[in-house]
Amino acid sequence: MLFVLAFREQAPWAKSIRFYVQLALAVILIRVLFRVIFNLESTPLYPVLVLPEINIDVGFGSTLHLLGSMSSLSLQSAFTDGLRLASIILAIGMANSLANPRKLLKSTPGALYEIATAISIAINLAPQLISSLNRVRKARELRGQSKGMRALPGIVIPVLEDTIDQSMALAASMSARGFGRQGSRTRANQVLVRTLGLSGITALTVGVFLLLISPATQILDLALVVLGVILTFLYIHLSSGRSLRTRYRKEPWRFGDFLVLTITAAILYASFSGVLSL
Amino acid sequence: MIKLKDLSFSYLKPDGSPVTETPQLNRINLEIHEGEFVLVCGPTGSGKSTLLKALNGLAPSFTGGLLSGEIHFDGQNLTGSQPHEYSHLVGYVNQQPEGYFVADTVIDEIVYGSEQLGLPAAQIQSRLDEIVDSLEIRDLLDRPLATLSGGQQQRVAIAAALVAGQKVLLLDEPTSALDLAGATQVLNILSNLAHKKGITVLLAEHRISRVIAEVDSVLVVHGDGSVTKGKPESQFNDPRFAPPIIELGIQLGWNPLRISTEDAGKRWRESEHSTLDRKIQEPSSAIVEIKDLTVRFAETSAVSDVSLSIFGNQVTAIMGENGSGKTSLCWAIQGLGTRNSGSVILANTDTAKLSKDSRLDLIAMIPQRAADLLFLHTLAEELEESDIYAGVEQGTTASLFQKLAGRIDTAIHPRDLSAGQQLALVLSIQLAKDAKVLILDEPTRGLDYSAKRALAKQLKMLRAADRAIILASHDIEFVAELADRVVLLEAGKIMRDSAPTELLGFGSPLASQLAQISRTPGLISIEQVLS
Repeated sequence: MLFVLAFREQAPWAKSIRFYVQLALAVILIRVLFRVIFNLESTPLYPVLVLPEINIDVGFGSTLHLLGSMSSLSLQSAFTDGLRLASIILAIGMANSLANPRKLLKSTPGALYEIATAISIAINLAPQLISSLNRVRKARELRGQSKGMRALPGIVIPVLEDTIDQSMALAASMSARGFGRQGSRTRANQVLVRTLGLSGITALTVGVFLLLISPATQILDLALVVLGVILTFLYIHLSSGRSLRTRYRKEPWRFGDFLVLTITAAILYASFSGVLSL
Repeated sequence: MIKLKDLSFSYLKPDGSPVTETPQLNRINLEIHEGEFVLVCGPTGSGKSTLLKALNGLAPSFTGGLLSGEIHFDGQNLTGSQPHEYSHLVGYVNQQPEGYFVADTVIDEIVYGSEQLGLPAAQIQSRLDEIVDSLEIRDLLDRPLATLSGGQQQRVAIAAALVAGQKVLLLDEPTSALDLAGATQVLNILSNLAHKKGITVLLAEHRISRVIAEVDSVLVVHGDGSVTKGKPESQFNDPRFAPPIIELGIQLGWNPLRISTEDAGKRWRESEHSTLDRKIQEPSSAIVEIKDLTVRFAETSAVSDVSLSIFGNQVTAIMGENGSGKTSLCWAIQGLGTRNSGSVILANTDTAKLSKDSRLDLIAMIPQRAADLLFLHTLAEELEESDIYAGVEQGTTASLFQKLAGRIDTAIHPRDLSAGQQLALVLSIQLAKDAKVLILDEPTRGLDYSAKRALAKQLKMLRAADRAIILASHDIEFVAELADRVVLLEAGKIMRDSAPTELLGFGSPLASQLAQISRTPGLISIEQVLS
C-alpha cells in the first residue's frame, strides 16, 4: 500500500486508489454489520456486544433471529471475512493506480498487443465516464426537467453516447495512424499463432486451477502448467518476431519496478509453497 | 497527388436505404496537386468532414455509409481500403486533439504512427528531429500532453500525423477551439508545410476570414452533393459561408474581390467611404453584481478577484486567450460552478444560494458543449418537453427554433442535427424559460456565417427586451458585430473593460478584420459601412 502511495504518478488513473480504499473499508464494515444483524449464534459464552434479540416468524416454521448478543470470536471472524474481500479489492486497486495503462501497452510483447490495446481502452473508459457524467449532470441542471420526465434517461443517454463517441474517436485515430497493419503475415500463419496462444492460455489456466484445488494428483497438474507455459512462450515468440511494429524508446527499468517485482515473487512463492506442502 | 473519380458517399438508414435522396457527396471528380494548400468550406452539415474522412478511409469504416467511385493517391488506387492502409500516405488531425491522443507524453504521441508503420528506430529519430524543428515543439517533447495549451496540442497532433513521412495532411477544423494567437500560429505552420515542404494540405474550417489569403485553392462542399474547386476569389458566391471580408467586397462592388487584409486595405483607400458610428446600447440598471470573485483549481487560480457589474439592455463580451478563465467565470456567475470566495448577486440573492428552479428562472446558460443538454429521442419530444418545463404555450420553443434554424423535420434524432442546428435547439430551449440573464460560452464554435448571423439577430432582439447577455468568445468578428462592452481577461484578472470600438479597433492586438482593412478608429463591424 505504501509503495503505491510512493510510486504512483500524478495522473487520473493514480487518483482511483482513494476510491478503492473507500470501497475496501465499506466492504469490511458491511460484512461486520451483516454479522451483527443476522446473528447466527444463539447464546455465546462471553458476549462482548449485547443487543436485544428480535425474533421474526417468517411463516416457514423456523424463526429468523435478528441482532442479539455476540461473542468477540464471531465479530473477529466477520472482520477477517471482510478483510479477505477487501484485500482483493485493494490489490486490484493498487495495480490499477500504479500501472499506467498506456505504458503497459508499450511494454507488452507484440503478440499480446491487440489484447492489451483493448484492455487499455477499457481502463481509460472509467475516468472518461466519470468526467462526462459530471459534465452531463451540470448540463441537466442548466436545463431543468419537467415533472413527468424520468431522471435517468437524461443522464444515461448523453453519457453513454459521449463515451461511445470518445472510444470510437480514439479507435479511429489509432486506425488512421496505422494501428492494425498486418505487414507480411499470411492468414494461415495468423490462425496457427492464435490457436497456439489460445491453447497455451487454456492449459495454463486449467493447470493452475487443478493445482490449487486438489492436493492429490500433482504430476498431471504440474505437467499441464508446464505445457501451458511452453505454448504461451512459443506463441509470444512466434508472433512478436513477425510483428511489423518497432519501438522508438523502450521503457527503462527503474528501482521501484524491481522492488515491486521482488516482493510479488516472494508473495507468490510463499503462497504456492503453502499450497504444495498441504 | 489526389485524384477522385465519380466519388459518391451516402449515409444509410438501419434498413440499408440512403438517408437522403441525393448522396451527401454526389459523383465528385477532382484533382489536387502535390504541395497544394486547399481550404475546404461550406455550410454547417454540408459534408466537409465526410469528404475528409472519405479521403483516408475513416468514412465508411468508422462512420458507416456507402462509398462508390475511385480514390487515387499518387497513382495508387486506394478505394475501399481501411484507414490503416492509408496511414503511410495520409495524416489526419481533428478539431479536439485531446480526445484523439493515444499516448501520454508528447514524444510518445508523435512517434506512435511511425512505430505502427514499423520504421526502424534510426529513421524515426531523423524524421522526429525534422518535424519537431519545423513545428517548433522541441522544448515540449517530454511534457505530458494534458499540460499543453490548445494551440500546442494541435501542433503536436500535426507532427504526429506527418512523422512517418506522409505527403498529405487532412485537418478537420483544427483552429475552431483556439484563440487568435494559437490559430495564427497553426495557420502559418500549415502554409509553410505546403509551400516549403511540398505537403498537400486539406483544411476544413468555418472561421475563414484570415485563412483564405493563405490558400492556393478553395473547395466548396455545397450540401446538395456537389463539390466545386477554384481560386479563392471565385468561390464565395454563397452568403451562407462568405466571410466578412468577402461580404465587404460584395457590398462595395469590388471587382475582383479582395481576399487578403492587405489587398482589401489598398482597395479601401482608393475610394471614399461613408460609415456610421458603431451603435452602443445604453445600459439599463445593473442586473448582476460580481464582487471579489475568485475561482481556484488545485494550485492555479482560474479567476482572481474579479469585480464587475453586468447591465441589462447590453451584450457584455468576455474575451481572452484559451485558459484565461472565461469558462470558469461563466459557471461561477451562473452559480453552479466552483467558487473560492466572492459573491455574485442577482435579484438580491447570491446565485450560488438560489434553489435549482429559481436559478433556472433567472439565468439561462448555454455551455460550450451545448449538445449535452439534449437527451430525448426526437426533435419533437425535445421541443415539447421544453414547453412543458417552461410552462409556456405549446409550440413556443418550436417557433423560436424555426426562427433560428428554419424548418426541420421534427422526427429527426437531435444527435443527427448539425452543430449549428443543435446550438439553435439548445438556445430555443433556454430562451423559452425567458430568464433575465443569458450566458453563452463560446457559442459560435462550428457555426457557419449564416448561422452566426441568425444567432446575432436573436441576441439583439433579446437585448432590446432588457436582458443582460454575457457572451464568452474568442470570435473577434462576432463580438465586433454584437457587443456593447468588452471585458478582456488575462490569467483570471480583468485587464481591460472598454467599448468594443477600442479593444477591437485599429491598433489593438485584437483588431477586427475591418479595423485592419480600413485603419479607421471606431470602425470595426461591416454593418457600419454604407454601400
